[in-house]
Amino acid sequence: MTRRLLQGSEAVADAAIVSGCRFFSGYPMLPFTELLEHMAKKLPSAGGVCINAESEIEAINMALGAAATGARAATGSCGQGLALMQEAIAEAALNELPLVVFNMARGQQDYFQATRGGGWGDYRTITLAPRDVEEAVAHTQLLFHLADLHRTPVLLYGDYVVAHTSVGIEVNRLELGPLPEKDWALDGTMSGTGRARQIWTWARGKPNTPGPGPDRAWKSIAEKYEEIARREARFEADAPEGTEVLVVSFGTTAPFVDRVVQELRTEGMRLGSFRPVTLWPFPGDALAEATKGCRLVLVYELNAGQMVDDVRIHAADRSAVRFIGGVSQDNSGMRQGDLLAVDALRDRVRQAIAELAPSGGSS
Amino acid sequence: MEREVLFTGVGGQGVQIAARTLATAALDEGREVMLVPRYGGGMRGGMTNAELTVGDGPLRALPVASDCWSAYAMDHAYFPTIAPHLRPGAVVVVNSSLFDVPVDVEGAAVFEVPASGLADEVGNPMTAGFVLLGAYVALTGLVSVDGLVAAMRQLVPPYRTQHLAANEQAIGVGAAAVTPLAAPAWPLNAVTTAGTP
Repeated sequence: MTRRLLQGSEAVADAAIVSGCRFFSGYPMLPFTELLEHMAKKLPSAGGVCINAESEIEAINMALGAAATGARAATGSCGQGLALMQEAIAEAALNELPLVVFNMARGQQDYFQATRGGGWGDYRTITLAPRDVEEAVAHTQLLFHLADLHRTPVLLYGDYVVAHTSVGIEVNRLELGPLPEKDWALDGTMSGTGRARQIWTWARGKPNTPGPGPDRAWKSIAEKYEEIARREARFEADAPEGTEVLVVSFGTTAPFVDRVVQELRTEGMRLGSFRPVTLWPFPGDALAEATKGCRLVLVYELNAGQMVDDVRIHAADRSAVRFIGGVSQDNSGMRQGDLLAVDALRDRVRQAIAELAPSGGSS
Repeated sequence: MEREVLFTGVGGQGVQIAARTLATAALDEGREVMLVPRYGGGMRGGMTNAELTVGDGPLRALPVASDCWSAYAMDHAYFPTIAPHLRPGAVVVVNSSLFDVPVDVEGAAVFEVPASGLADEVGNPMTAGFVLLGAYVALTGLVSVDGLVAAMRQLVPPYRTQHLAANEQAIGVGAAAVTPLAAPAWPLNAVTTAGTP
């Protein structure tokens, strides 16, 4: 095995390229900038194109165009840039174009932005939130696969920790199974009057080959997302029989939760952890199962309370749900603040347990 | 077993390249590594820190270190940002040419190396970071000095090869300025090779 010391951004760039990504566009913004830089260095020699666009809006529309030709295309930014990209993400969903969007978020964990989107129409974005660099490499490859499989825009929810942490790693291509032919791609192969393909145009088709029209097209897209919701939910749970307190988190906060859960178990507390690996589709059924019998379901996320809504919707007993996260930015504004720490989390878990049972302990 | 190094300095001192060089050397010697840089918008003159964890098996460390084993301090300006994350008795290697305040860490084993002065003496003031890194590695044996030099050679880009000799000299000067293995990172009698049980 040949491991190299790779920054997360470089490992993700390598993963995108081994996945067959051949078009990348973006506008620099920390902590996304390094991914753009690595793609700029690596894509040309892989036979691809990387463009530093003049804005995030240009970047995603360039990637949208590349995706429409059948290329594996990607773009990205941090939360602020993702806000500008929402229109094109909705457009990609409506046009059923596979597009991978890397969100290397700053300190704020914007769960709503990732899972609700800001565009129009009945679409969702499959969103994978890796816990570390190794998982980000696997998720990147899975996202290109899922985007093609379902013809939909997808998101990687990374952050400063994923983008900037360096580890010794070897990036290898994963075999993820067969995919349908891209017989819809506007790749110029049909040429000829009347035979050229179309994407969208209100799904009306052409005089000799009428399309389903907007109503049926939108209904079928909505049904597709229902199907994705049934099939693609992924999660990680460590909730043995008898778990009384379950801590729910996502992304790079999860390793901190695991550490605290392990520590407090040694004190006799019956703790467990649950992590949605896909933020959308949210693994609601699995959470309902994992929270059965729990006296407390604690939600730890670095924002003012976003994923907690989905946890309340799906928990076996919604009155057991407590939010123990909070807004936490460091001085640079680029990464998480003091709340991303074992001590801070341990205190909040202990306090929540103490408030439930003043006599102390949950066991 | 895991050993942590907290790097601190001000932008322009080569702190990030020092951390990356040490991480590369450790990886090449078969260790597991995790390196987390920390800096903000200010480049030259701003805070520049890094956390490096080196282990002989899969790492338990989280990307926000606490209770760390050692520090590499090129300057005192931002030392207070890492001091709370050092364990009592930590090994603290400071560039005493610039670091002129007391090290506020309980029971710390402080090693003062006039890295900037030594770099000036050999006519390459920009290599002070490598002088201190050579000293750190000689003191701790976290990696071998030869391994450090090899890692430095790997990381210098092709258009900067004119600095290879000066960097190597700086590592040697730093290593010669301290007592070898005065603060060993690994058990001295260990007969195992890194990465194997």
